[in-house]
Amino acid sequence: MSRAPTHNLAAARGRSLLRSKRANRLQHLASLAGHGILFAITSSSALAVLFIFWFILKDALPFFQLRGVREFFASTAWYPVAEPPQFGSLAIFVGSGLVTAGAIVVAVPLGIGAAVCLSDILPFAARQWVKPVIEILAAIPSVAFGFFALVVLAPMLQDRGGQMLAIGAWLVGAPVAALVIFVASDLLSARLPARRRLVGRLAIVGGLGGVACWGLANTAAALDAIEIPSGTNALNVSLILGLMALPTVVSVSEDALQSVGRELREGAYALGSTRAETLLRVVIPAAGSGICAAVILGVMRAVGETMVVWMASGNAAQIPSPWYNLLQPVRTLTATIAGEMGEADHVTGSARYHVLFAMALCLLTISYACNWISEHAVRRASRKLR
Amino acid sequence: MQLATRKLLDRTFTGVGLLAVGLVAVALVAMLGPIITRGLGAFVFQETIEHRRFLLERFGRGDRSEIEAEWAEAQVAREAIHGRITQFESELRKLDWDQRQQYAGPLRDLKDVLHELLGPFPDEPKPVMPRDQYGPTRWDRAQVALEHVLFIEEYDYSDPTQMGKKVLIPRANQFIGTSLAPLFGELETNLDKMLLPRRTFYWRFLFDESVDAHLFGGIWPEVLGTLYLTLGAIVFAVPMGVISAIYLVEYARPESRLVGLLRTCISTLAGVPSIVFGLFGLAFFINTVHVSQSKSVLAGSLTLAILILPLIIRASEEAIRAVPATYKEAALSLGAGRWRTVVTVLLPAALPGILTGIVISMGRAAGETAPIIFTAAVSVGQPLALWEAFSQPSPALPWNIYNLCTEHEAVDAIRHVQYGMVFALLALVLMLNGLAIVLRARIAKRLRG
Repeated sequence: MSRAPTHNLAAARGRSLLRSKRANRLQHLASLAGHGILFAITSSSALAVLFIFWFILKDALPFFQLRGVREFFASTAWYPVAEPPQFGSLAIFVGSGLVTAGAIVVAVPLGIGAAVCLSDILPFAARQWVKPVIEILAAIPSVAFGFFALVVLAPMLQDRGGQMLAIGAWLVGAPVAALVIFVASDLLSARLPARRRLVGRLAIVGGLGGVACWGLANTAAALDAIEIPSGTNALNVSLILGLMALPTVVSVSEDALQSVGRELREGAYALGSTRAETLLRVVIPAAGSGICAAVILGVMRAVGETMVVWMASGNAAQIPSPWYNLLQPVRTLTATIAGEMGEADHVTGSARYHVLFAMALCLLTISYACNWISEHAVRRASRKLR
Repeated sequence: MQLATRKLLDRTFTGVGLLAVGLVAVALVAMLGPIITRGLGAFVFQETIEHRRFLLERFGRGDRSEIEAEWAEAQVAREAIHGRITQFESELRKLDWDQRQQYAGPLRDLKDVLHELLGPFPDEPKPVMPRDQYGPTRWDRAQVALEHVLFIEEYDYSDPTQMGKKVLIPRANQFIGTSLAPLFGELETNLDKMLLPRRTFYWRFLFDESVDAHLFGGIWPEVLGTLYLTLGAIVFAVPMGVISAIYLVEYARPESRLVGLLRTCISTLAGVPSIVFGLFGLAFFINTVHVSQSKSVLAGSLTLAILILPLIIRASEEAIRAVPATYKEAALSLGAGRWRTVVTVLLPAALPGILTGIVISMGRAAGETAPIIFTAAVSVGQPLALWEAFSQPSPALPWNIYNLCTEHEAVDAIRHVQYGMVFALLALVLMLNGLAIVLRARIAKRLRG
């Protein structure tokens, strides 16, 4: 009774409910073809990356044929337009490494701190406000960061760089010193007999505090006396790159911290840990691989960034002396490619053109390695937690 | 360890976490603050009569009679200055050769800086370059020009151990005792009558063409170029991205090796540095496939499309996965085929999520500079018609921000244009991201309710 209308409907549309064998086969073929088309489109978008590798490699190899490998990696003489030209890129690699290291020093403590805050400390309502802030930071175009670094930060560093460094030293040093002294006094005074404990503790605090103040004041005075000849230097770029890598670090390590789950946290609380102890001794070690992945992705962002370093790093192909001196201008791989391609473009086929592809190949390799390691780390983390 | 110490450590730890978040927020504000306030300065500023004249003569804008009346008024105020110069010149002719030599150089310099402040004198022929035809168009630039008239900048190198120090010497010192001496005081007091500054809202900054290398006019060619590039990238990337996502979620067998390889490729693509995309675009789209003779908006769009492809795939994948399984099961149980289920049920349900991904990748494509340096961007250009975009390069906001603040001949004179461009780009990108946040909030509400 209830089937009749359906049957009538099918009949009315000129089709029986059962398909003929031929129709069935046609349908099967059509679905196979559709499947094939979908697969083709998907694989072509995946193949893009192989294409990129291939085309960069194709233009990079002639450089190594023309000039060999040694000069590129071992020499610091970068004179691409001299006669005869020299393509020693060691200083450029060091420059890339230096600003990346600086960026990581900025981004990792801040990023992990913010991630911990987001996942464990802030209440839900506050989180809804902080997340968009991080997202906005991620969305700002790199050229805007570069503009800020060049037009606002660089003159500031040049005019008042020493004072800024000194203030920074106080801001970072004073709380850290206070904390260390407090804990040290607690640990040391615990050994004293109970009667003298308070006096001993006060003495330790006073003594260590004096030393710390003296040390900090000296450091700050030394930093204050520094004159920065040019605001476009590795420090400027490191600060900005750190800020740019921050959203990546925060979001990936927050995911890692979230995925640790409640059981471990509640177990630690039940054993009497404070929140800090839970996080430091249980949650962060458990999320270690994920946090590693976050740091590596941050490195990747900093290594591959072009505009900021091109605009604000000073673009001097030199190894700073001493090598950790962030106050000197440096030059990076990305900035070299961006800056030289405009002039090398019309000499296609020369070593000067191909050397830029060789640099791009190095960048690609680095980013591929970073990607591989971070994926590995994430996979390991999820396996471990399961 | 004492309990009090542990508690203190716990609180410090909380404090450090909050401090990190606070620092991030402060950094964001410190960065956006100057860009927004000074960027707005490109739109809202004190315009001088020169700016009104420029708009009238170049774009035919404004009330002609009113501006001419104001111009006459300004000319009257300037008469005293011009009069003093001509008077001094005629006096010079009467002096003997030595004294004439003494004043010739300073007078030439003075006239140069006066041109900078007031534009050409009324008795002079009209100069060729627009920058020489008009005085400063903005009151803040007029103040700088006035400074140049009143003071000569010199560098003091007397201390060889230090960098040269800037010293300002009043220009009036060179003309003590001559009839030109009062000129400087008059300029300082009467400058507003000569330039008639007035607050204006120059919203057409976005839609005006630039005149004489951005010294005048607006940023329309750049804005238009960025729109073309962004929309072009979206047009190429969205179909491929969404179809790939459909395949990966609905059709591919997750355990298959090949699919795993595809996923690895896509995630590697997401990590490729943007400058490498630029090189690839140059080597592939321009030098190998020859989509255009040389740089073109088309080549840039294609390059940007590859750059945002992984973003779109990932966002669409997540959006399709987030559709409740019951939707799909219901569609399948009603007899719909797999493809029909995808098109009529899954895609509509996932649409807001996919749109969010598209909007975010639009922001990304609009702001990227490195991929378009070698493929699409030029420093100076006219706004393109749509069909020209296939074969011609165009200026674009991100590239021209770089170009104007590093390679322009008068970097300081066009700070406001640079800030205006950064502001426009940021506004575009942040608006897109704001839209994405709103979209996402609506999806969350729908899935909850």
